[in-house]
Amino acid sequence: MPLPERHHLLQFVLFVFVLLIPCFALWSFLSAALVTPVIGLANLILSHWFPDIVNVVYQQGADAMLMTRLDEIDGQLVPTDVTDAGLGFKANTRIVSYSIPFYAALHFATEKKDYLANFFWGLLAIYPFILLGLISICMKDLMVGFGTIFLDQAGVLVPGPGLIGISYQLSVLIVPTLLPVAVWAWQSRDTPLLRSLLAAASP
Amino acid sequence: MTRFVVIFLLVLVCLFTLEMQTGVQREVIEPFTAVLASISAAIIQPFDDSVLSYGKVLQFTPGGFAVSIEAGCNGVEASIVLIAAILAYPASWRARGAAIAVGLLAVQLMNILRIISLFYLGNWNLDVFTWVHLYLWPALIMLDVLVVFIVFLHYLSRQPGASRHAAA
Repeated sequence: MPLPERHHLLQFVLFVFVLLIPCFALWSFLSAALVTPVIGLANLILSHWFPDIVNVVYQQGADAMLMTRLDEIDGQLVPTDVTDAGLGFKANTRIVSYSIPFYAALHFATEKKDYLANFFWGLLAIYPFILLGLISICMKDLMVGFGTIFLDQAGVLVPGPGLIGISYQLSVLIVPTLLPVAVWAWQSRDTPLLRSLLAAASP
Repeated sequence: MTRFVVIFLLVLVCLFTLEMQTGVQREVIEPFTAVLASISAAIIQPFDDSVLSYGKVLQFTPGGFAVSIEAGCNGVEASIVLIAAILAYPASWRARGAAIAVGLLAVQLMNILRIISLFYLGNWNLDVFTWVHLYLWPALIMLDVLVVFIVFLHYLSRQPGASRHAAA
């Protein structure tokens, strides 16, 4: 029997609370595996975009290690071809990938017909933003760590410091929580929870 | 829908960029964050007199565990998302104003709960503190924003005149 309209929101909030902890717990165990493709793509993009600075981005658990082609000797940054000798930056990928368990909790707490296929498409929508978030973190680290050496590379289009700063802040502070809600809202627009509200409230 | 998304993103990016300006941080955000720390301490102190606040720091005395409320932990970003969503949705300015006022209150009440819970969690176990602080609480705060927005839509659906007199 369908729920009365006013109960859909209560049911949804209750189910989200029930699902949040198991979804986040499961993600904690799987987070390293979940970001493997993202780190691989970040390596491809960053090492081709900044070939004189970025040597490799590789995975270390749920972290991404960005190894550079610059080393510090006597306080001076000098180029190096030795992989292990370059300065490295560690990025916690979980601060951008926790959008996955949040989206999962929202998705599975909503009464709908096709759970798994929609979940798959939702993840496909979220993954590019996790990649963008990781790239933003790496670029912020490079900007803070190397300053003008990174920002003023000859023949390389490097975003301005303001853009790097804003994209980093957006990627870390807003996107991981807002994106799951946006994807969930789009996929749930025909569910009993949102359909009647959107229809009645639209002009 | 397209109009909502465009206005929402525009307001979101403008407010967020404004928030990130050094002058706004110094003159508005940091004093506001200090007020949050003071309110949190005032709520805790009747039950636990070993707590004090100074600036944006909440601390157990003497010299005990302390948390500093930093950017991203003061509920401002969640408030910006809520304001952007309410402004982007067609409704009367009165309804929008009321929704923003009630919504900001709801977000900040939840945020104070977050600060107090993190303060005690951190004193108990730093690993749990880190996990809850970085991943779980941001999701809960955004869930709060989502619920406020759905309640706003529910209110509009009960007040058909409100959407028809939209002045967006």
